Amino acid sequence: MADKDVILEVRDLKKYFKSPTGTLHAVDGVNFSIRRGETLGLVGESGCGKSTIGRLILGLHQATSGEILFNGQDICKMNKQQLHDLRKDLQIIFQDPFSSLNPRMSIGEIIGEPLRIHGKVHSRTELDKEVSRLMDVVGLSARLFNAYPHELDGGRRQRVGIARALSLKPQFIVCDEPVSSLDVSIQAQVLNLLKDLQAEFHLTYLFITHDLSVVKFFSDKIAVMYLGQLVETADSAELFRQPMHPYSQALLSAIPIPSSRQKMQRVKLIGELQSPIDPEPGCRFAKRCLYAQEGCTGRDLALRGFGNGHFCACCRAGALHEPSISE
Amino acid sequence: MEEKKQHKTALPEKEPIPSAQAPEALLDIRGLRVEYHTDEDVVYAVNGLDLTIGKGESLGLVGETGAGKTTTALSVLRLIADPPGKIMGGEIWFEGEDMLQAKPARLREIRGSKISVIFQDPMTSLNPVYSVGDQIAEVIHQHEKCSKEEGRRKAGDMLEMVGIPRARYDEYPHQFSGGMKQRVVIAMSIACSPELILADEPTTALDVTIQAQVLELMNELKEKLRTSLLLITHDLGVVAQVCDRVAIMYAGEIVESGTIAEVFDHPHHPYTIGLFGSIPSLDETAEKLKPIQGQMPDPTELPEGCAFAPRCPYATEACRTHKPEMTGVGGTQMVRCLAHQGVFESPELMEEVRHGR
Repeated sequence: MADKDVILEVRDLKKYFKSPTGTLHAVDGVNFSIRRGETLGLVGESGCGKSTIGRLILGLHQATSGEILFNGQDICKMNKQQLHDLRKDLQIIFQDPFSSLNPRMSIGEIIGEPLRIHGKVHSRTELDKEVSRLMDVVGLSARLFNAYPHELDGGRRQRVGIARALSLKPQFIVCDEPVSSLDVSIQAQVLNLLKDLQAEFHLTYLFITHDLSVVKFFSDKIAVMYLGQLVETADSAELFRQPMHPYSQALLSAIPIPSSRQKMQRVKLIGELQSPIDPEPGCRFAKRCLYAQEGCTGRDLALRGFGNGHFCACCRAGALHEPSISE
Repeated sequence: MEEKKQHKTALPEKEPIPSAQAPEALLDIRGLRVEYHTDEDVVYAVNGLDLTIGKGESLGLVGETGAGKTTTALSVLRLIADPPGKIMGGEIWFEGEDMLQAKPARLREIRGSKISVIFQDPMTSLNPVYSVGDQIAEVIHQHEKCSKEEGRRKAGDMLEMVGIPRARYDEYPHQFSGGMKQRVVIAMSIACSPELILADEPTTALDVTIQAQVLELMNELKEKLRTSLLLITHDLGVVAQVCDRVAIMYAGEIVESGTIAEVFDHPHHPYTIGLFGSIPSLDETAEKLKPIQGQMPDPTELPEGCAFAPRCPYATEACRTHKPEMTGVGGTQMVRCLAHQGVFESPELMEEVRHGR
């Protein structure tokens, strides 16, 4: 395995938050790695901890324990200055283009701000030229240079967010639900743009989303998350062809298919999402799982390999009959 | 419910026009026009919309933000805030009665008992200081004469019908998860066995597994109660799983309608084709999506001809000057497009239509 290729590696990452009723295990022992130029899709339902992982990678949260190796350096151990330097290479696109742009700054100022902060340009003309180039790259017309965010619709605002993330020529971008708040026709435009940019600038993405059809289209690999833990990782096509974890199966079978010929064959789940506060050790999914048995609880389960880059944390995976959703 | 006295309201001057199409139309909207007047602008939200829903039928109304879907639903119950909203014209026939002529007292009778609404966000449509059971009972007491115990029993029945144990009657909304809250809202909407439910993005705020549960519940109730449903959504998948028919809305107009099979297998309107091209398919691995270019038109200044013309890859000069009419293209499928109307020929579009999905 050419380890050089790995741009980001997360090892036994944990993030706990104190809450009045106990300790909230937002991220609870997560391991994964992303290779340069690839896209890892991180999927899960609200509250499973996927956004927390994105924030930990950028150093916006301090991890409780574990390592995040970016080009071999541990982000968790960095001081402020090192993090400041790191952000040249590591950027984020936020979900909500309405709250992630400063309403009092013009579009030109917003896109140019990282360039100023990191001293990448030396004169006003140089800055304006670079900002105009970035606006062109993301498909924003030049006349919006002096416009303010409230004058733009959601799709254009998200393009501003993308231009800002690109301004420092990063190697890695965390995309935290970048298209969730956009209409389908605009969503497709932005997804195509992100794909084009990836090819052009050789970017690596961590793509966080709850939308499974988007993640299949966009990612090379997918990691499925449930209550702070990864339950399954596999190549995108492989996961959709043969989901192994009962939770992945339930999740994939719940997608409403836009076709007159296919009806949903939902894998039933018992009950609702459990609380992430002081969870009992063992499979977090066991209480909702149809196949749960004694071995499922008591001890935490690690991801196990099943060949083909397919990993699953279910202790019964492989022994269970997998209904394939694409058939 | 049946014995409830029928209020005699002042009949509208116009006699109901015998409906040409669907013989058993429960709801028949004709030429509805709604505008929002602000200090600077007039927003043309709904522009001559025609829509019918038959008894026991479920219709999906699909469109993007600002297409006028919610305005249409709110108009049916006359819930448009005025000002700034104004219903400028059209008729909304419900069981032989024009809702636009109905008096406030009559509207209050209809709301919740004959037509009920499910809103998008269950967090804000429930009152946080009343128990969920009492909130359901409130609807029942509003429309039916019954004792307190009777109301409580019926409300409990409704909770059980949507899969919530009766024992949770006295709990408050904050003690429920998002999916459970939406079930409570659904229980409330079916409490008086309405003829029609208007569901405005009922599952958009929910996670996918919870969404699937709620959709399944709605399908079950639809079968059991034979209620008609107007389901407003932007998600074509949700429509395919729940509805019998679909209407695609763009800039305040219906641009295409038909059965699920007709529209999903052979979309005819360039906008509908574009919508399907924008959603990633789960079956095949496409390198690129085929999105619609450009943005929705500004609803304060809509284009003169076809509203979709500025974004349409097949548009001709005629499209920019002529308003297209709804044209039948076989079966029950109708399309608002000059190419299908025969004004001009577009072999590329026809090829795309024939190819289908």
